[in-house]
This record gives sequence, structure tokens and C-alpha cells, in this order.
Amino acid sequence: MILQGKRVALPSAPVVHRRFEAHARATPDAVAVFHAGRQVTYAELDVQANRFAHFLAARGHGPGAKVGVCLDYSVDMLVAILGTLKAGAAYVPFDPAYPAARLQLLLGQVPDLALIVASPATASLIESAAVDVIDLQKLSGHLADLSATCPDVTVTGDDICYAVFTSGSTGTPKLTAVRHEGWFNLMNWLRLEYGLDRRSHNLVVSAFGFDLSQRALMTPLFCGATQYLMASRNFDAMLAYRMLREHDIRIVHCASSTLYLLVDWESARGGDALARLDYVLFGGEPLKTERITDWARREDNTCTLLHQYGVAECTDVATSFDLAHYRPGEHDIAPVGTPAHNTDIHLLDEHLHAVAAGEYGEICISGASVGAGYLNGTGPENEKFTAIDVDGTPCRLYRTGDRGYVNEAGNLVVLGRIDAQVKVRGMRIDPTDIERALGRLAGVREAAVVITYTASGEAELNAFVVPAGDDLAEDDLRTRLLQTLPRNMVPSRFRNILRIPLSPHGKVDRAALADACRSEYADSTTTA
Amino acid sequence: MIADSVHAIWCRELERDDIAADDDFFALGGESVIMARIQGAFIEELGVEVPMDQMFLNSTVTSISAHIESLGAVTGSV
Repeated sequence: MILQGKRVALPSAPVVHRRFEAHARATPDAVAVFHAGRQVTYAELDVQANRFAHFLAARGHGPGAKVGVCLDYSVDMLVAILGTLKAGAAYVPFDPAYPAARLQLLLGQVPDLALIVASPATASLIESAAVDVIDLQKLSGHLADLSATCPDVTVTGDDICYAVFTSGSTGTPKLTAVRHEGWFNLMNWLRLEYGLDRRSHNLVVSAFGFDLSQRALMTPLFCGATQYLMASRNFDAMLAYRMLREHDIRIVHCASSTLYLLVDWESARGGDALARLDYVLFGGEPLKTERITDWARREDNTCTLLHQYGVAECTDVATSFDLAHYRPGEHDIAPVGTPAHNTDIHLLDEHLHAVAAGEYGEICISGASVGAGYLNGTGPENEKFTAIDVDGTPCRLYRTGDRGYVNEAGNLVVLGRIDAQVKVRGMRIDPTDIERALGRLAGVREAAVVITYTASGEAELNAFVVPAGDDLAEDDLRTRLLQTLPRNMVPSRFRNILRIPLSPHGKVDRAALADACRSEYADSTTTA
Repeated sequence: MIADSVHAIWCRELERDDIAADDDFFALGGESVIMARIQGAFIEELGVEVPMDQMFLNSTVTSISAHIESLGAVTGSV
């Protein structure tokens, strides 16, 4: 089974920053960035980025180099990113919301890091780094002496533009590299498919290390619009909502969990700043439709919700689905839609043979978005980048490890991780399947299910339930779940919890939940 | 007293009543989504808007109460 994305011709050199430069020439006085009350025009940002590019080039950091960026959201962050691209190099985001020890571990995973751009507010986080750390503010006198024109560096679509950390399978984060062609294709698709233009002003609400944040950072500059950045290191629903209310922001890219928090904020306090956006592009984890349904059905809601799927290894987004077409049914999962331009989705069995229409398979991605692979050494993960034969032609693809199928309407449906499955008493189970069943029960606001193992090695399902009102009794939940799920899928333990904990990337923190189960067992063992 | 109101909000949102004034929010098992609820409660019940970065920096009842009082000294609204 193959889902084919529309074929759309790209320029011979699909290089992301060339779009920004074209806007800087066409609309030099348009506002490129708004941050902390300060506005910077396209022309001003272009000049600053050119100077930083000359600085890098003079130090010998050109095509192939990797430049670390450890900054809070700021004008300097965009100068560092654009300057790095103009020098022909790639940037690696280091999220200053991470602890220093975590950043140290990540820094050790970047081969041949050229230098790190930091600020007085972030420098102490990376002081262990073995490379030069530079501060654009301290360098401003020196940078002002450098040429304001664009450096003469040839960049191709195959060159790396950024690399982000993603989870591996062996406990070591993987540094996955994205190519200009893939990133250009992604933003060009959003521009053409959804009509993004110079009015498509954007607010960044996600953490810098996230792959979706790279898209959120660059898309408005690719389209000639204004980028709004918050003076906040941690996600702040209050500040985000204030920005939406006070400015003509049209677009937000975020994780599903972040969308829930914004929807909660608007629903609790009134207002329509979120509901009158043009688009929210979200995804990255199974959608809990019940968290947004009431808000999405408000009469004054004119925001198009694009439910998207993708992986960092293949430039972040592979498919998109307009949720306006979705009516939740009894056992439905919200689809993630159809592929981006020049992108194909293959559903393959374990021998990499195509499964029949409607059957489950591993989701594999081919086309313009397939990245350059992992930059940090060898590992079993590298084999996920492979090739298959399609009608006699070799086709490079990436095996996502996600399981899915194509529904009758031709939309991709993602069922969860292949490796998150578990056998309980001989039955193969996907915990997200149970979460959805719990989420549909009256009185349940949200649910998460994690797997632990007993001393005898038997898998146990642990449910964490966020009640909509009063705490829910275990017996009651179990009784009602037994009406919708096979017995082997009904969790052995239920806990009421105030909120589902989230990882720094805004996804459900399953590790923290599993730890909570284990420490509870340990306690009960001690007291028994 | 601001500290008493803050303590009451923490106890309610963290669902425990054994919180000392210098206990760390994260050590108590708190995480960012609970922090967001406390931020909302500060607005509704105390009439102060405290940015999330300040809540992360001041992660005890004592320190966030002192921060809120310092806001009052500037704006005169608390």
C-alpha cells in the first residue's frame, strides 16, 4: 500500500534561506521578528545574518560545519540560525530549558562541532563544552565591521540545514540531520497547500529542541510574514494567550498537549484569540479528541486544525489532515491524512513487502523529506534508513517504527509504536488503544497507560486517569471498560491523577508514570 | 497574608496538605501542567499575573510569595 503525495517541482537549488533573502529584497521594511517589544525588519535581520555568516566563514566554518545554538528565543537566535545557513553550515539547537547535565550529554554526541552561540543567560549551561562559545552581543562591535552583503557560498538541496536530537532505541539520543531540500519542500508545501503568505504571522510556543520548533521558526520567514517570539524559556499559556490576543498572529505550530493547554486557557477564561487563528498545525502524539471537541465546535471557531504526522528523521511532517472533516465514531482514531508534496507513505510488513489496502503495516517514508541520517556514530537505528524496490526502481526510505493503515477515505491512520506494544497473557496490545477507550468513558478527562513487569516477568497494564470531576473508583472504571475492551486489555491497576505528566517536548512522560508505578510497588513491598 | 493564600493554592493543586513553606514544588511531585493551574489560580484568586519562568525560578511557597509581594510593591495593586 502506497499513499502518494502530489509531485511539485522545486527550484534547482531548493535552499531555505534563499527564500528569506528574496523577501528581504522584495519587502525590506516588513517586520521579520517581534520580540520583547522590539521589531526587526527583513532588511535588518538579513544584514545581521550576513555579518555572522562572514564571521563563521572567516573562522573556516563553511559547508559541512555544525554550529551549536544555545539561546533563548530572541532576535539573536534567528541571526545565528540564518547566518549559519548562509555560511553553508548546519545548526544544532540546544534547548536552554534542559538541565546542564543533559546538554553536556547531547554536546558529546555532535561530531566536529564548530562552536556554540550562547548568551549571558545560557552560557553557564554549556560551560563544559570543549569548543568555543561565542556571544553575539559581545561580538557586536567586531561583527559591525564585517560585510553586510550575502557571502558567496554555494549551497545545494542536499546540504544539511539543521540536526536535532531524537530518541534512539539503545538509550542514547540520536542526532538526526535534515537536508535543505526536505525543509524547503516542507515549507513550500505549507505555503501552497494552505495559502500561507506574508500575512501568516506566527507565534512560537514549542521548546527549541523539538523538530517542530525548527519549522515554526523558519516558516514565517520563508513566507515573508512576521515571527513573534516570547520572552519566556518555559511554555507559558498566560503569555502565549496574551500574545495571541494583542497581535495579529495567524498561525501556531505545536504538540497536541500544548494545544490542550491553550484550549483550556481560552475555555476557562473566555476569549476568541485562539479560535480565530487561521491554522493550528499540531500532532506528535495520539490525539485525545475529547480535549478539544467542545472548543472546536464553538460557533465562532474559524481556526482550521491540521492534525499532522511525521518524524524528525524525515523533516518533521509527512502527512496532514484537516480535522473539520472528522466526526469521531465509536472506535475511530483521528486520521493524520495524506502526504506532503513529493512524499510517499509506504505500509510494509516485516519483510519490507507492501501490505494490502486497509491492512496494518509499518509506516515508511520516501521522497524529498528523507533526511541525511544520524550524525552520531553507528547503532542499530541506522538500519532504519534503507531502500526497497518499487516497480523495478530502488527507493530510499525510512522505517518509522510506527504502525498504521490507510482507511477507506485514503487517509493514513497511526496506531502507535511497533515497539510500544506488549503481550499480556498472549495477546498483543497497544497501550494507546486502551487510553482511547478510557478517554471515551464518562467522567474521564484524560488517560495514560503504561506497562510494568511483575517479578515473574509478566506485563501489567497501569492506567492513570485524570477525572473530569470526582475521583473515579477502580471497580467502576474496570466494569465500564470491560464493556468496550477484551479482558486482557483492561488494566490491572488504576490511579486517579491530577494531570498526565509531560516530557520537556510536551509529550506524555511514560517513563515518569512507569517510575511512579515501580516506586508504589516498592513501598507496598516494604510495608508488607 | 500572600503566603497563606499561596500555600492554600499549592495544597489544593498538588492535592496534599503537608507542604512546608520551603518545600520545592518539583520535589513534591509537581510538574509544569500543575504549575499552569497554579498560575491560573494566582490570576483568579490573587489578581496577579506571574510568568511561568518566575514560577520555575521561585519554586517554594516562601520564594514565590516574596516574588508576588514584590510585584505588589511596584504596582500597588496587591
